[in-house]
Amino acid sequence: MDLGNVAIQLLSGMTVAGYLFMVSAGMTLVFGAMRVINIAHGSFYMYAAFIVAAIVGKGTGASGMFWVALLVAPLIVAAMGTATEVTIMRRIYTKEHLTQLLATFALFYIFADVALQIWGGAFRSVQAAPVLTGQVNVLGRSFPKYNFFVMGVAVVVGVAMWLLLQRTKLGWRIRAAVEDPELLAATGTNVRLLFTTVFTIGALLAGVAGAVVAPLVSVAPGLDAGILVEAFIVAVIGGLGSIAGAAIGAIILGLFQAIGILWVPTWASAFTYIAMILVLAVRPWGLLGTPER
Amino acid sequence: MRRVGLPVALIVVLVVLSYTLPTSRLLVLENVLALALFAVATNLLLGYGGLVSFGQASFYGLGAYVVAASWAHYKTPFWVAFILAPVAGAVLALVVGALALRTRRLYFALLTLAFSQLFFTVAEKWYGFTQGDNGIFGTMIPSKLAEPQAGFLFVLAVTVIAMLILWKVTESPFGLTLRAIRENRERAEALGVNVYWHQLLAFIISGAFCALAGVLFVVHDQAAYPQLLDWTKSGDPVLVSVIGGMYTFLGPAVGALVYQYGHDLIIEYTTHWQLVLGIVLLAIVLFVPDGLAGLFSLAGWRRAGARVRSILRRQAEVG
Amino acid sequence: MRLPRKYQGGKAVRNTRFRWLALTLAVGLALAAMSCKGSSKSTATPQATGTQPAAATGTQPAAFTGTVKVGISTTLSGAIAQLGKNGLQGVTLAVDDLNAKGGLLGKKIEVVSADDQAKPDVGSTNVRNMILNDKVVAVFGPVSSAVAAAEEGIAAQNKIPIFFHTSNDTVLMTKQFTKYGFQVVPNTTMEPRAIAAYACQQPYTKWATIGPDYSYGHDTVDTFIKDLKACKPGVEVVNAQWPKLGSSDFTPYISAIQSAKPDALFLAIYGGDLVTFSKQAAGYNLAKQMKMFGAYSISALQPLGADAPAGGVTWFRAPIYLPDGTPGVDNAKIKTFIDQYHAKFGQWPGIFSILAYSAVQTWADGVKKANSFDGDKIAAALPGVTVSTVRGDIKIRACDHQAEIPEYVGTLSDQVNSTYGFRTPTNVFIGQPDKIMLTCAESEALRGK
Repeated sequence: MDLGNVAIQLLSGMTVAGYLFMVSAGMTLVFGAMRVINIAHGSFYMYAAFIVAAIVGKGTGASGMFWVALLVAPLIVAAMGTATEVTIMRRIYTKEHLTQLLATFALFYIFADVALQIWGGAFRSVQAAPVLTGQVNVLGRSFPKYNFFVMGVAVVVGVAMWLLLQRTKLGWRIRAAVEDPELLAATGTNVRLLFTTVFTIGALLAGVAGAVVAPLVSVAPGLDAGILVEAFIVAVIGGLGSIAGAAIGAIILGLFQAIGILWVPTWASAFTYIAMILVLAVRPWGLLGTPER
Repeated sequence: MRRVGLPVALIVVLVVLSYTLPTSRLLVLENVLALALFAVATNLLLGYGGLVSFGQASFYGLGAYVVAASWAHYKTPFWVAFILAPVAGAVLALVVGALALRTRRLYFALLTLAFSQLFFTVAEKWYGFTQGDNGIFGTMIPSKLAEPQAGFLFVLAVTVIAMLILWKVTESPFGLTLRAIRENRERAEALGVNVYWHQLLAFIISGAFCALAGVLFVVHDQAAYPQLLDWTKSGDPVLVSVIGGMYTFLGPAVGALVYQYGHDLIIEYTTHWQLVLGIVLLAIVLFVPDGLAGLFSLAGWRRAGARVRSILRRQAEVG
Repeated sequence: MRLPRKYQGGKAVRNTRFRWLALTLAVGLALAAMSCKGSSKSTATPQATGTQPAAATGTQPAAFTGTVKVGISTTLSGAIAQLGKNGLQGVTLAVDDLNAKGGLLGKKIEVVSADDQAKPDVGSTNVRNMILNDKVVAVFGPVSSAVAAAEEGIAAQNKIPIFFHTSNDTVLMTKQFTKYGFQVVPNTTMEPRAIAAYACQQPYTKWATIGPDYSYGHDTVDTFIKDLKACKPGVEVVNAQWPKLGSSDFTPYISAIQSAKPDALFLAIYGGDLVTFSKQAAGYNLAKQMKMFGAYSISALQPLGADAPAGGVTWFRAPIYLPDGTPGVDNAKIKTFIDQYHAKFGQWPGIFSILAYSAVQTWADGVKKANSFDGDKIAAALPGVTVSTVRGDIKIRACDHQAEIPEYVGTLSDQVNSTYGFRTPTNVFIGQPDKIMLTCAESEALRGK
C-alpha cells in the first residue's frame, strides 16, 4: 500500500466528514439549546439539494446559476426553519421529550410528502460550476477538485460557527442557553427569539450541507432519512450539544469508514454502530459533551 | 369486580367482531393486537420505569426469528418455539439491560438504539441462519392458526393473558417501586431500593413480552425478516405509547389501534399517506399531548378543548 | 412508600369505569364503521399519481358487462419511489390499452394501487386488503424482492395469481415457489450469467466489484464472478466493496477501488445509488482508468446524460431503446409503446415500465386461455404457453413459472440520443435464455422438490 493510496483514502474520508459535520452541527446546536432531537433536520438538507437541482437543472450550462443556487438554497431552507419554529416547534418546548420527538417525526413525514409532490421521485443530477470540476494531482493520483471545495466550505462553516459562538453577543446567549435557560431568561434575554434564531441557524447549516452535496449525489427522495441517521450518530459520538464534538465525530466516522473499507470491506457498514456503542459505553455523554444534569 | 367488568366487555366485543368483521379488517386488527402487546410491554419501561428504550425491536424481532428460524432449520414445533421465544427475549434483555442500564436517560435511549441496530445488522448479514434480508417465509405455524378467525382468537387470548400479567406486575409492590424510582431516583436510593436491579428486572420482563409480541406477529404474517429489528420498528411502540398516553396502562394499546388501523386505512385510500399521517400526528401532539387515552375521561376532553381554544386565541393575537 | 397522588391510581380507579365504557363503545363503533366501509369502498381509486384508467375519460366501448380489478402494491415513496412509479405506470398503460380494445372477457379492468414503503409487512397488508376488500383478480409485484416474497405467500393463500416484473430474486421461483407466482423479468441468476458470458469475451482479467450490501447485491456479484471464473480461469478479483443501500458517499469506496488498479469494475449498484456513484466516480476520472460494467437503467441514464460513461457496459432486462436490427426485437412495436407512454405520462418509460406492461399482457393472455379470471384456472393455463407481449413472444416455463426471456448486454453510445437525452445501448449481445437460465432440475432442487 503506497502513500498515495493512503492519502487519497484519507482525503475521501475527510470529504464525507466535511458535509456530515455541517449537518450534525445544526442538529447538535438545536439539541444543545432546546433539548429537542429534530428528526426533520434531514428534511432541510434534502430540500436544499432539491432547490439547487431545480435552479441549476434548467440552466443550460450557465455556470453562474450554480453559485446563485448555492447561495439561495440555504437561505430558503433557513426561512423554512424559521417558519417551522414559529408555527410548530415553539408550542412543544414545554412538552415531554418523547412528545417533541413525535412532533418532529410528523414534520418529517409532511416534508417528505410535499417534496415528492413538488419534485417527484426521479433521480436528479446537478452540474457544479466548471471551475470546481476536474481533478487535482495528489501524490501521483487524481482526486476531485470538488471534494476540496466541500472540505473548504466545511472549514469555513466551522470557523464561522466558532466565531459566532465565542465572539458575539448572540453566541454568548446561545452558550448560556445550553448551560441554563432559566438563568438566561432572568437576565432579560428574549429566549423565544433566541430559540427561533438557533433553529434557523440549524436549518441554515443543514441547508448549506445539502446545497454543497447536491452535485455529488443523485438528488431524490430518501436523502432526508439517509443523512439523518449518520448525522445523528456523529452528534452522539461527539457529544450532543457540542459543535466541536460534531467536528470530531464527523472526522472519526469519515476516517473510520474510509480506513475500514480498505481493511475489512464486508463489515464496514457495521462499524458505525460499533463505534457508537464503544463511545457510549465508555463515555455516554460523547467525546466532548457534558453529562446531562 | 368493577375493574373486571369492562375489560371483559371489551374482550366480548372483540370476540363478537371476530365473527362479524370482514377477514381483511380482522387481520388488520390482529396486527393491532400484536402491536398493542408490543407497546404495552415497552411502556412498562417508558411510562412506569421512566426508561426510554429505543431498542425494543431487538426482542420483538428475536421472538419472530425464534419461531421462524427454528422452524426453518430444526422443524421445531410451533408450541415449543412459542414457549422458547419469551425466554430468549428475557435472556437477551438481561445482557443488553445489564450494559445499557449503566447509563441514564438520553444515553440509555441511545445505547439501546445502537444495540438494536447492531442486532439488525446481524440479522441482515447472517445468511446461514436468518436467510439475510430475504427473510424466512413459510408454513411455520399450525394450519389451524393460519385460519383468520382461529388465528385472531389465539392472538387475542395471548394478548389478554399477557396484558393481565403485565397489569399485575405494574400493580405489584415491584411496579410501585418502579414508579417511585421514576419520580425520584435519589430518594428511592436513599430509602434503600436497589435501583439497578429493579430496572433490570423491568427490562427483562419487557423484553420477554416484546418477544411474545414478535411471536404474535409471526402468527399474523408467517414471516420473519430483518426489518422487524430496525430502528423504525423500535420507534413504533414508543410512538403509539405517546399517541395513546404513556401514563395509563392501556394508553399504548389505544395508540396501537389508532396508529396501525389508521395507517392501513390511509395507505389504502391515498398515496399521500405521509402527509395525512403527519398532520394527524401533529394534531395529536398539539392538542392531546398527554395521549388519546386522556380523552376517555371527560376532563381530558375539556383540557384538549381548552388547549385548542388557547392556541387559536394566541394565533388570533399574533395575526 | 408514598407516591404522588396522580400515580397512585386512586383517581384512575374512579374514572376507570367511564373510560372503559367509552373505550369499548368507541372501539366497537369504529370497527363497525370500518367494516361497512370495507364493502362500500368506491370503485374509483385514482391513487396512482394522475393515472386514471383511460376508460374513465369516456372512450370505452359500451359493451362492458362489468368491471374487474387488478392490484399493484409497490414502492411509491422514499429513495426508490421512481422505480415503483415506472412499474405502476406500465401497469396502468397496459390496462388502458386492454380497455380500449374492449377489456377482457367483456369486463372493464380497473387498477388499484398502494405504497408499500419498501416494507414487507406493509406490502403483505396492502395485497391482502386488495384481495379481500377490493376483490382484485390479479396482483402485479413490487420493487423489492423481500416485499415480493411476503406478497407471494398472501397471493397463494388466496389463490390469486401474482406477476413479478421488477423484483427478480431467483428465490421467488425456487425456494418460495407457489403455483400462483409468475416472473416475467430475468432473475438474479440469469442477469449476472448473461453479463459474465459477455465479459468472458473481453480481455479483462483483474476485476473489482461493488454491490449493495444485501442479498440482491451479493447474489448478483457472486454469480457473475463465479460464472466468469468458470469461463475464464485467469480472472482475479482484486477488490470487492459492499456499501449499504442508499449510501450518499461512495468516495472512500471509489478511492479504494482506484488504488486496486483493476482492468474492469462490475457495479451491481443501481438506481439513485448508481447515479451518485457515477457522479462521484467522474470526479476521480474512474471511467478512464478501467472499464465500467454497470446496471445503467433509464432512471439512471436520464439524470446522468453525458456523465454516463460512453463505452461503458450496461445490461437491460427488456429490449427497449436498443438499436434497430437487434435479433428478435420488434423495434416498431416498442417505439409505439415508448411514444404512447411518453404522451400519457410526460416521461420516457423505464425498463420496469415495459416489464410491467408485459406482465399485464401475460396475465391477460392467461385470462383468455383460461376463459376465466379464476386464479386456479389461470395458474393451470399459463405454464408452458408462449405469450405475445410488447417485448416479444415469451414462454412461461412450466417447471418454475420463470419466463424464458433474454438479457441484453451492450455498450453505451458515444452520442447522447437527441430525442431521449440519454445514452442508449449499442453493440448488443444477447444472453439467450437457454444459456443463462437454471435448468428445471436445478430450479426444482433449490425448491427442495
